[in-house]
Amino acid sequence: MWTYEKRLQFPVKITKTCPKTAQLIISQYGGPDGELSASMRYLSQRYTMPVKAVGGLLTDIGTEELAHMEMICAMVYQLTRHLTVEEAKTAGFDAYYIDHTAALWPQAAAGVPYTALEFQSKGDALADLTEDLAAEQKARTVYDNLLRMITDPEVREPLKFLRAREVVHFQRFGEALEKTKEKLNEKNYYFYNPEFDKHMIIRE
Amino acid sequence: MKIQHLAMASVPIQTWGQIYDNQTALKKGTIFQELDMPFFAADDGGMSGCCCQVSDTADPNQREREEKMLQIYQVCFAADDLRLYLDTHPQDMQALDLLKSMLAQRKQLLKEFAQRFFPLTMDCMEELYQAGTGEDCYCWQEGPMPWEGACV
Repeated sequence: MWTYEKRLQFPVKITKTCPKTAQLIISQYGGPDGELSASMRYLSQRYTMPVKAVGGLLTDIGTEELAHMEMICAMVYQLTRHLTVEEAKTAGFDAYYIDHTAALWPQAAAGVPYTALEFQSKGDALADLTEDLAAEQKARTVYDNLLRMITDPEVREPLKFLRAREVVHFQRFGEALEKTKEKLNEKNYYFYNPEFDKHMIIRE
Repeated sequence: MKIQHLAMASVPIQTWGQIYDNQTALKKGTIFQELDMPFFAADDGGMSGCCCQVSDTADPNQREREEKMLQIYQVCFAADDLRLYLDTHPQDMQALDLLKSMLAQRKQLLKEFAQRFFPLTMDCMEELYQAGTGEDCYCWQEGPMPWEGACV
């Protein structure tokens, strides 16, 4: 169950229309390392996690990622809400405009539509948590790249916030991995799959 | 930290350290000073923090709304970051005490905001009905939508 709180996690207030910037930022909505992909990854992986607290952490981070998706969508929306057709033509936003006008639709910066193939839910805690660590790094790289290109401070502030969250989430997933390792055989972490061979997990 | 093993990733467990005040934490994206690791190309010097301040509006009502909303952003973000820390450090009493304080402030701020402006959660609506201040108002559709960028 989720309940909605009628605010963003971090304020987004962009006053200048810029379809080019929108076209870059939209990658963090529907791109390979975007926030939609992140939330679906964590919220899918959590059910079968062998350590209860790790399932709880995936729920909380997955929920925060939904709020990040909302921030990214708010940024794209505010960058294009006063768009004229002339601006759409000149700024390289034209192909997107033809299919979606100024609506929100999850795609990568290069136009590839969002797909569940962007993430995995493998049913093996070590494989999934290692993917989650990598996912946070890849999202951080996207924010780094965006921050190199975008100059408007009203856009940079929320991007810097989102980038900082990737670093914090990486740390938490690292701690979740340590907690999971405690339940495994430290002589051979790969002796069994803790999500499938449940009877072999070390009980406290 | 425990012994590291071959063929296995390892991240040191964070210990409780220096904490930013709520105002700084929102700007930085974390309350934990040790986890604040900025990118060189993101250093904006004096331009930093333009989103985390109230606009220079002449309308006292708008100004009050923005100030209150900014406090909500700050307190709730500190609670968000503390919750993730406590997910992996459930025994840390310093973190728990701080979370308790943030949650109490959050409740009070949401209540005040609902009474003065509009409810941000379903529970805030219920409080309005209980207080008798919103009995004729469904209220949930009051106020700008969050993505409009109007409030802060």
